[in-house]
Amino acid sequence: MPVTFTFGEMLSARSVIGTTLAELGDDYDNLWVLTPDIGATLVEFRDKFPQRFVDVGLAEQVCVSIAAGLAYEGNIPVVSGMLPFLSMRALEQVRSDVCYPNLPVKIIGTHGGLVGNGGSTHYAVEDLALMCALTNMTVTSVGDPLMVGEIIRQSMTMAGPIYIRLAVGKKDKVLYEPGQHEIRIGKGIVAREGTDATIFTHGTVVAQALDAADALERDGRSVRVVDMFTLKPIDEELIIRCAAETGGRFVVVEDHLAYGGLASRIADVIADRGLHLTAFERLGIPQVYAGFGEDEQLRDKHGYGLEATIAATRRVIAATT
Amino acid sequence: MGQSSLKFGSGTRSVEELEDLAFELRSKLLHLCGTYEGAVHIGGDLSAADILTALYEYGLNVDPSDLSNPERDRFVLSKGHAAVCMYIAMAMRGFFSYEGIVETYGQLDSAYGMHPCKVQLPGVECSTGSLGHGMPLAVGMALSARGRGETHRVVSLVGDGETGEGSIWEAAMAARSNELGNLVVFVDRNRQLMTSFAEERVAFEPYPDKWAAFGWNVVTIDGHDMAQLVGAIDALPATDSTRPTVVICETVKGKGVDFMEHNLAWHAGSLGAADLERAMESLEASRGKNKNKESV
Repeated sequence: MPVTFTFGEMLSARSVIGTTLAELGDDYDNLWVLTPDIGATLVEFRDKFPQRFVDVGLAEQVCVSIAAGLAYEGNIPVVSGMLPFLSMRALEQVRSDVCYPNLPVKIIGTHGGLVGNGGSTHYAVEDLALMCALTNMTVTSVGDPLMVGEIIRQSMTMAGPIYIRLAVGKKDKVLYEPGQHEIRIGKGIVAREGTDATIFTHGTVVAQALDAADALERDGRSVRVVDMFTLKPIDEELIIRCAAETGGRFVVVEDHLAYGGLASRIADVIADRGLHLTAFERLGIPQVYAGFGEDEQLRDKHGYGLEATIAATRRVIAATT
Repeated sequence: MGQSSLKFGSGTRSVEELEDLAFELRSKLLHLCGTYEGAVHIGGDLSAADILTALYEYGLNVDPSDLSNPERDRFVLSKGHAAVCMYIAMAMRGFFSYEGIVETYGQLDSAYGMHPCKVQLPGVECSTGSLGHGMPLAVGMALSARGRGETHRVVSLVGDGETGEGSIWEAAMAARSNELGNLVVFVDRNRQLMTSFAEERVAFEPYPDKWAAFGWNVVTIDGHDMAQLVGAIDALPATDSTRPTVVICETVKGKGVDFMEHNLAWHAGSLGAADLERAMESLEASRGKNKNKESV
């Protein structure tokens, strides 16, 4: 049964994952779900398809390799866990066991960014840089909880692997009305139109960027917000279009290292395509191991919170060529 | 399986035939090592030669003319650096042309490289090479077979040095937890790492006890005694049993060539023409010794 939620409501992405996988398990008798002891939200799938559910306990490496072994045999495995561990401890398994033979393994997880207040062992802040480096890997970062289900559905027919990044995934804002935007892996979403500047972002920070654009609108500024939920392959066409339509004024804000994530992906397009921008600012996590604190507090402390986003956008709009 | 002439535990070749095939495999390995200019992992190839002969010529239910038959046994070379030994064993079984291996090994665009790649070489089940990865893949493949009610085996050849990797023991636990009696691991227990004798660096012993402690069915044999290899294959438990099996094969790195045996210098290398002749003489002599031993 499809779940419907209204725009602006809070929803758990994890519950969407659980429901979606349990649904898809009926359509795909070769869908397997694996987890290294992070299976609470997978209960629906586990109860429905116990034969195709594997909890290996605390063993990320073998979890990814088993998924690869299943995929070699024609199955569609989903590995669900915490991203700091899946993206780093199991990185070589992801690279050599999954990406090298281009197997349709889906890696979906939580704790992307300075979220969850677990300290630096539990923040995935380098993951997008690592995953974007891997040949054959498709890389996504999703904020809208409803979108997660759609991305998983679309990924079912992909030939190769995909990485799906969430924040904590317990309670996030529904950003889009159902049907409001075409959601397609590889295509960015113009979450809000505008002409003075573009804020590019991904994940739960999209909500913050929309708030920033609202605040700037009160000052008479028209700011576009692009939810670039697919980092790889990056939507080059949209970047080029935004450069032309928003005065070559870009802000990139993300809950990831400021260098190596979306800002770097976009900077590569700018350099490779010879785009002439008026101004470019990137906001993200500096080269520090962030301490404890709530998500918003950490964003503020490390310079990529709401106020910093508004300020950077003002600077970009004020910049002269 | 209808098309295949071989069935696990019901192989048709005699021990003597298998010994001759292992000798041929070693001869071909040495020939490649003597003609290819780059390094060949000859030490670990020679330690694994009898095991791979027993598997491809006796144990594995595979059909070179039907690579994707779902009923085939799966073989995963976890010690991926012994790829050339597997390529030649497979060529002898009819998968590839041996000449194709010798003529192109390691060259640009060759399908035959230092570590096996499934994408470039169909017939190979998995891309391996990074140690500690192959056996975990085999666990996934065995799990898939279980899920589908398939009755084939998944067999992996693991180096003992490789079992220093933590992922091997994660896989050992996962295999037991999921009761994968359809999984069989052969350990090439040659007791040498690349630069050291294993026990000098890593406390592997008591080695069989480690596997037993992980709940595996443990068999220890002489990995160069073809009768024992055949015996171990014949005695494998049914694929619907609940314990995975490890066959610990006591082997000698460089087996069959006196100046390579137990010699750390021969983890990998290349033989010139003169050394190739010397190596072949030694191999012939060791074969003679074995033959005499048998006839006594």
